[in-house]
Amino acid sequence: MPDRRDFLRRSTLLGFGASVPGFVGRSALHAQPTGAGGSADTVLVVVQLTGGNDGLNTVVPYRNADYYRLRPTIGVPREQLKPIGNDLGFHPGMDMLARLFNDRGAVAVVQGVGYPNPSQSHFRSMDVWHAASTAESLSEGWIGKALKARPLPAFHLTRPNEAAPLALAGAPVRVPSVASLDDFRLRLASASGADQAAQRGVMTGTAQPPADPRTPGLLDFVARTQLNTYSSSDRLAAVGRTYEPRVPYPETAFATKLKLAAQLIDAGVGARVFYVSLDGFDTHAGQGGAVGQHATLLKQFADGVSAFYRDLSERGQKDRVCVLTFSEFGRRAHENGSRGTDHGSGAPVFLVGGKVKGGVVGEHPPIVNLTDGNLPHATDFRRVYAAVLDRWLGVDSRVVLGDGFPPLELFS
Amino acid sequence: MTPIPALQPYSPTPADPWDRRKAGHLLRRTGFGPTHAELEAAVRDGFEATVSRVLTGRPETDDFTRTSDFMASERSLPAGAPLPRLTAWWLDRMLKTGHPLREKLALFWHNHFATSHAKVLNARHMLGQYRLIHRHALGSFRDLLVGIGTDPAMMVWLDTTESVRGRPNENYARELMELFSLGIGNYTEADIREAARAFTGYEIVNGSGTFNSRKHDPTPKTVFDRTGPFRGDDVARMCLDNPATSRFVVRKLYRFLVSEAEVPAADVVEGLAARLRDSGYDTGSVVATILRSKLFYSAAAYRARIKPPVEFALGIVRGLEATVGTLPLADALPALGQVPFAPPSVKGWDGGPAWLNAQTLLARNNLALALTSTDDPRFARRSDPAALLARHGKTQDGAAVDFLLGVFLQGDVPAASRDRLLEYLDRAKTVRTPGYWSAADAAGHRVRAVTHLVLTLPEFQLD
Repeated sequence: MPDRRDFLRRSTLLGFGASVPGFVGRSALHAQPTGAGGSADTVLVVVQLTGGNDGLNTVVPYRNADYYRLRPTIGVPREQLKPIGNDLGFHPGMDMLARLFNDRGAVAVVQGVGYPNPSQSHFRSMDVWHAASTAESLSEGWIGKALKARPLPAFHLTRPNEAAPLALAGAPVRVPSVASLDDFRLRLASASGADQAAQRGVMTGTAQPPADPRTPGLLDFVARTQLNTYSSSDRLAAVGRTYEPRVPYPETAFATKLKLAAQLIDAGVGARVFYVSLDGFDTHAGQGGAVGQHATLLKQFADGVSAFYRDLSERGQKDRVCVLTFSEFGRRAHENGSRGTDHGSGAPVFLVGGKVKGGVVGEHPPIVNLTDGNLPHATDFRRVYAAVLDRWLGVDSRVVLGDGFPPLELFS
Repeated sequence: MTPIPALQPYSPTPADPWDRRKAGHLLRRTGFGPTHAELEAAVRDGFEATVSRVLTGRPETDDFTRTSDFMASERSLPAGAPLPRLTAWWLDRMLKTGHPLREKLALFWHNHFATSHAKVLNARHMLGQYRLIHRHALGSFRDLLVGIGTDPAMMVWLDTTESVRGRPNENYARELMELFSLGIGNYTEADIREAARAFTGYEIVNGSGTFNSRKHDPTPKTVFDRTGPFRGDDVARMCLDNPATSRFVVRKLYRFLVSEAEVPAADVVEGLAARLRDSGYDTGSVVATILRSKLFYSAAAYRARIKPPVEFALGIVRGLEATVGTLPLADALPALGQVPFAPPSVKGWDGGPAWLNAQTLLARNNLALALTSTDDPRFARRSDPAALLARHGKTQDGAAVDFLLGVFLQGDVPAASRDRLLEYLDRAKTVRTPGYWSAADAAGHRVRAVTHLVLTLPEFQLD
């Protein structure tokens, strides 16, 4: 069997190509924020809930008696849910997202999103979502392909331990990973300004990608990463030092990443795509119901996204931004013996933004008479991607996804 | 089986001699960065003596064993000890052990059975898993795979402790097959569901994984088309019966020891996998085959990996002959992207190009600066290139640059890079320095700055 990861690794090197470093776009945006799909300034923020978010406890069909029967200890009592109509309620941890849904109409919930013959491996299923393909060998991501079709400045907002996601692979310019603008400073010990300049001169001079085409790809990769980093570190470190959010952000690592996105959007460096993840959703044991492990995660997610949306809204930028949230799979309808849930399949996807057509899309999937206890998917996730590509980023979705995935109507 | 050319033993010839480059390559891959003395000894003693010494290691000194054991005692590292203390303890072993290869393979298995303190939250359990892995690092993969199933840290990490009769938890059964042995595509979802029942009834009693038949599901399970009242260790052994496991493991070993840049050729995988099976899953035997092979000393393997953060940091410390404490190193590692005892997920670190992005690259540069500049309070003069060069009598600029390039890169850099370093030293003589600097400060600054520049060369990021 061909080893996909090895293949990926090689193609990542190739995909890096001979592109010019300097991902930070040229000065501020000149276009007016129209927010129309595919216009000059729309911003996409992809939020990945890593580990397999339990969709059934996130958007709860509380009139369904089977729900409480299958989940005797982790079912969320009806009176604690945050109703969003259609006999559905958000988990209480998502109170802030329910408010955006009900008060501002800025949230779309697409129910039962998945793909045929789902894999229950974290890694395989994540790769499928990232590559937007169920082919055996996956080497390029859906965003990477989109960036190839339309070069847009993108950022992976990250922790240091976090590898660049497959979703971004294949981009013509390597998407930089940034944890905090302060870390983005190249330090040197120098006797004077001239000394510093001399040291920088050596560092860039020795990092020239070798002219010899037979040179191993890894050295080329390192040299280009170095040049790219040095050329942009000064500018990024200077960006948004004075940024004052208009609403308080929660003190969580996740919200801090979204604040960084707001900072970069506000700084007008031309950033158009952000990738953020929140880990910990692999709740095999002690998941909790209305409170507990899963509740804490959902609260981090909802509070962070809400602060981000409201901050941008205060700045008149809400119509420019769309947040797309997904997880590699949902979890089983029935709880396991450890008061948790094992790996499942279909689950809801959320979109948040000023131009997002608020509401619930699709029916809640049935939760009984299932194959292996897995919720079936009603909507292929690529139809969600197609909407984001065609109607939001202005990239022809067929180039990225192929035919057969008509876009859902998700934007107004 | 016909012999596989790439796996035939390397022996030095005038056309393909044993030299400093090859010695550096072997010592890097099998340790944590060579010192000047180690490189000299390897070149002087020749290939056979060096590779034998690498494979057997030197006996640990009493001082090393006593100190390391004391630092790992319950009093010194209690269950609630924070992660950096645990990490610093292992880093100290990596720096000082007489058998770096075994420590290196322990790091390999830690990445294979990737378990994080972030969930386990018990330093005793994490140490226990380290000991299991270290014991079998160059020994039996069979014993390791069976043993890890009742390892307390693993049992907490993948919820085996939560899995009891009637309420099986699939987490361990799935990762056992997907990540620890067979690899994806070699089992079914039904295999996982059935195997999960075999892993019921394991619990931690007085810090050890034990089997409790009252909590175990004794009914027959059907796993890999075989039916029986299997227990967890039966499933682990059945995974070993499938040759897919040997291929999966040797592919990972290849990536760890040989190359991240190329997929191994099919005959190499088959040859190494056969060796693993025929030796009764003796990891040391496969490692020895690799480290003696023509393949290992060929261009296909040379600098064909990105240096992982731990090796980057320790390589500098060892090369500089520094005597720094490992706690500040442990504190610096998160920004570089690798903290032993805290891999990002059960899949471990991705490695390869994933190690380097703008942020981790800057963190590497900045750690190199802290270790070379002497004005960082964490390391101060315990890590000082100027003192190193003085000790080795390299007072002239040319000799100093060649010594540094010799230690860290075995002199194998483009001539233009060497010229730029010399040019920097030249210009730095005339550069204005702050008024309060002494002549020694200024001279020290030049060689410390040029050492930092050596450590930022792209070639130094390669392993």
